[in-house]
Amino acid sequence: MLNILILGLGQCGNRVLDAVNREAFGSGGTFAKYYSRQKFPASVKTIAVNTAINDLKGLTDTLARDRFHVPHLHGVGANRTLGKKVFEDNKEQIMSEIDKRGSFELIFLITSAAGGSGSSFAPLLVKELKKAYNAQIICIMVLPFREEGSIFMQNTAFCIRELVEERPNGILLVDNQYLKKYAGDIKSAYDKINTTVARRVLFMIEALNSEMLMVTDLGDLKTVMNGGIGIGTMGYYEATKDGTIKSAILGSFKPSGLLFPANVYDEGARAMLIIKGDKKYLDLDLITKTVEELSTEVGQVFKGVLVKKGRPKVLSLFTLNSVPELEKLYATAANAIRFEMDKREQSKKQLDDAFAHIDELEPIY
Amino acid sequence: MNGGRILVIATLFMLAYSMMATATDHIIFGQYLRVNEGIEINYDIKIEVVEVKEATVDSAKFRISSYMLPEKTYTVFKGDTPLKYETRDGISIYIEVISVQGKTVFFEVKGPDEWRVSNYYEFEPEEAETEAVTVPKLEIARTLDISSVQQGQTVKVTLKIKNDGNGTAKEINLDEPTIKGTYKEGCPATLDDIAAGATERVSYDLKIVDAEPGTYELTPTLLNYKSESGASYSSESSSSVLVIAAKAVSVPKLEIKITIESGDDVMICGERFPATIRIDNIGNATTGRVTTKSRLPDDLRVVDGEIDPVYESIKPGDYEEYEVMLIAYEPGKHIIEMDVLWADDEASTSAEFWAERSGFDKYYIYILAAIPILLLLLWLIKRRREYSF
Ligand SMILES: Nc1nc2c(ncn2[C@@H]2O[C@H](COP(=O)(O)OP(=O)(O)O)[C@@H](O)[C@H]2O)c(=O)[nH]1
Ligand SMILES: [Mg+2]
Repeated sequence: MLNILILGLGQCGNRVLDAVNREAFGSGGTFAKYYSRQKFPASVKTIAVNTAINDLKGLTDTLARDRFHVPHLHGVGANRTLGKKVFEDNKEQIMSEIDKRGSFELIFLITSAAGGSGSSFAPLLVKELKKAYNAQIICIMVLPFREEGSIFMQNTAFCIRELVEERPNGILLVDNQYLKKYAGDIKSAYDKINTTVARRVLFMIEALNSEMLMVTDLGDLKTVMNGGIGIGTMGYYEATKDGTIKSAILGSFKPSGLLFPANVYDEGARAMLIIKGDKKYLDLDLITKTVEELSTEVGQVFKGVLVKKGRPKVLSLFTLNSVPELEKLYATAANAIRFEMDKREQSKKQLDDAFAHIDELEPIY
Repeated sequence: MNGGRILVIATLFMLAYSMMATATDHIIFGQYLRVNEGIEINYDIKIEVVEVKEATVDSAKFRISSYMLPEKTYTVFKGDTPLKYETRDGISIYIEVISVQGKTVFFEVKGPDEWRVSNYYEFEPEEAETEAVTVPKLEIARTLDISSVQQGQTVKVTLKIKNDGNGTAKEINLDEPTIKGTYKEGCPATLDDIAAGATERVSYDLKIVDAEPGTYELTPTLLNYKSESGASYSSESSSSVLVIAAKAVSVPKLEIKITIESGDDVMICGERFPATIRIDNIGNATTGRVTTKSRLPDDLRVVDGEIDPVYESIKPGDYEEYEVMLIAYEPGKHIIEMDVLWADDEASTSAEFWAERSGFDKYYIYILAAIPILLLLLWLIKRRREYSF
C-alpha cells in the first residue's frame, strides 16, 4: 500500500483538495459523509493549509482536523513576500502537522500560482518536505485566468520560477484560462475544474497502487516527471461505445482532454498512460502496438493497464520539452510589471510635484 | 582391412579418372556409402542408399529428391550406363555404381564443376509394413432406466455394445447377472455377429418380484466372443447399483403446530391473547380417531375455546385448526406443549413466549426503540462536527 499525502495550499489548493475528498466518497452524493468514509485507492492523508480561515470554513468534505489554519487572520492578500514570512514563522507547526500523519512515498502539493498563500508557501514547503521525507513530490499548479490582473500574473511568474528552483519531482499544470470552456460562470468552472483534477489524481493513485496487468509504479512516475523540463500536464479520454482501445489511447493525447494547452506530439518529452477498463476491451497486443507507435513521436511512454469494470478510460501524464504557453505568460507578466512600475513612478512624480508647491514654506499659526 | 579398403578406393579413383569421357567429367562424389546413409549435393539434391544387392549382377537402390521434385527410387546396376538425374532447372548429374559389398556400395556422382557434396547423413530405415490382423473389440455399456424401484415394478435394462476393433466379433455369449427375487424377461444369451465399427443395442425387462428391499450391486455384464480367426476375447460392462424399496404402504401421519398471535412473543400478564393450533395429516391415509393433549404451565389459563378437542378422522392432505384464548398470570418464560395421538402413533410440539408485567413494558419497548434513533442522531451530529471547521 502506497502512503500518499495530498496537501492543498491556499484557497485554490484547499478547494481542489476538497474535491479530491468529495470524489473519494464515490457515488454517495452530498450525504455520503454522514454515513461513509472516503475510499481512497491507497493509504491517503490529506491536509488543507491556508492563512485565510474563511477559505478553510468553506470546505465541505475535508475533515475539520485535516484543515490547518496558519494564523494570519485574513490571509496574506496576494502578497507573496508577506506569505513567505508567514510561512517561515509557522513552518514548525506546519511540518509537525504533516509529521503526525506518518511517512509518505508520494506527496501531491496542490496550489494556485497566482494567489498569495498557496503560491508563496509552495516552493518553501517543497524545500522543507524534501528535507524531511524521502518522497516524490508532485506539484499540481493552477494557472490564473489571464484577465485576473497584473498582481496575479506576476505572482504566477515568480511562483513558478521559485518552484522550479526547488526541484520537486514534477510540476503538473492546470490552466484555468484553458479550462474556462468547461462552464459559463466562474464558480461552476472552478467546480468543474476541481472535480476533473480530483478525479485524475485519484485515477493516478489507483493505478500506482494497483497490481496491474502491465505495471506502472512510482519509479516510472519519477522517470516520466524527470523528462523534459520537469513540467507537464494530464490528459484523459473515456472510450465511446464502439471506439477501439487504440482510439481511446490516442484520444488521451488530444488537446481537448488536456489540463494545459500543449502539443504533445511536438513538445512531449516522456509520457505515462494508464488504461482502465473491462478485460474484454483491453487488447494487450493493440495497446502495446499503439504505445510503441506513440513512443516514436513522444519519447519514452510508460503504460499501465488496470482491469476494472466499465468502458476503457485512459489517463495520460506528460512532461514537456518546451512550453510556449508559459513563455507567453511570462511575457505578459513582464509587461504588466513594467506598466505597473511606470505608473508608480508617475504617481510618485506627481506627488513630488505637488509637494514642490510647499517647498521652503513653513506652516504659520 | 582398412588399408585394403583405401587401396581399393584409390585404384578405383584412378580408374575413374582415366575413364573420364562423359559430357560432365567432374566427379562430385566417389566413395562408399552404407545402406541408410545419404549425401546432399550442392545443398539440393539428396541421394540416399536404400538397398544394396549382391547377386549375379550387383545393384544398389537409391532414393533421390531435389528442389520441387518428389523423391523417386532408382535401381542402378553395376557396370551399366550411369543413371542420369535431371534437376528442375535442367542440370544433370550421373550416378554410376562401381562396386557392391555387403551393405556398402561404392558409387560415383558426376556433374557440374562447381558442385560439391554439402552434407552426409544417416536416415531411419523404413518400417516394414505389417500384415493387418483383424481383431474385434467389444465395448459394452449398461444403463438402467431407473435406479430405484419398488417391489412389483420393472426396470428396463439397455446394453449398448460397440465393436471398436477392426474385425467382426462372432459367437457372442452374453452373461448377465441375476438378483434373487427378480426375473429377466427377454434377456438373450447369445448375440448375432457384430461387424467392425457397428453398434448393437439389446434391452430387456428386469421384473422385481419379491426381492428383499435394499441396495443391490448389479455385477458387470460379461461378453465372450471370438474373432474371425477363432481367437477368444471377453469384455465387461461396469457394474450398476439398483435400490429396491418395499412396496409403499399407506399410513396416516399427523403434524401439530402452535401459533401464538404476537409480533415478538411478549405477552402482558393478565391480558388475553389467542393461540392457534393446527393439525395436518401429511401421511397418505386417513386417520382413525385423533385426540389432543395439552400441557400448560400452572399460571396459564384457557379462557375461551377447547384446547384438547377430539376428531373422528383427518383425511390425507387435510387439516384441522382451532383457536383458544389464553391468559398468563406470572411474568417470565412460558412453554406450551401439545401432543396429538392417533391409532398407534403420536406427534408433539411446543411453543414458548414471554410474559411481562404490564405498564412499564410499553415504555421499555419505546425506550428500546428510541436508543438506536438517539445513537444515530449523536452519530450524525458527530459526523457533522468532524466536517465543520
Ligand atoms: N481551478 C480553480 N482555481 C481557483 C479556485 N479558487 C481560486 N482559484 C484561482 O486561484 C488564484 C487565486 O489564488 P488563491 O488560491 O485564491 O490564493 P491564496 O488563497 O492566497 O493562495 C486565481 O487564479 C483563481 O482563479 C478554485 O476553486 N479552482
Ligand atoms: Mg483567494
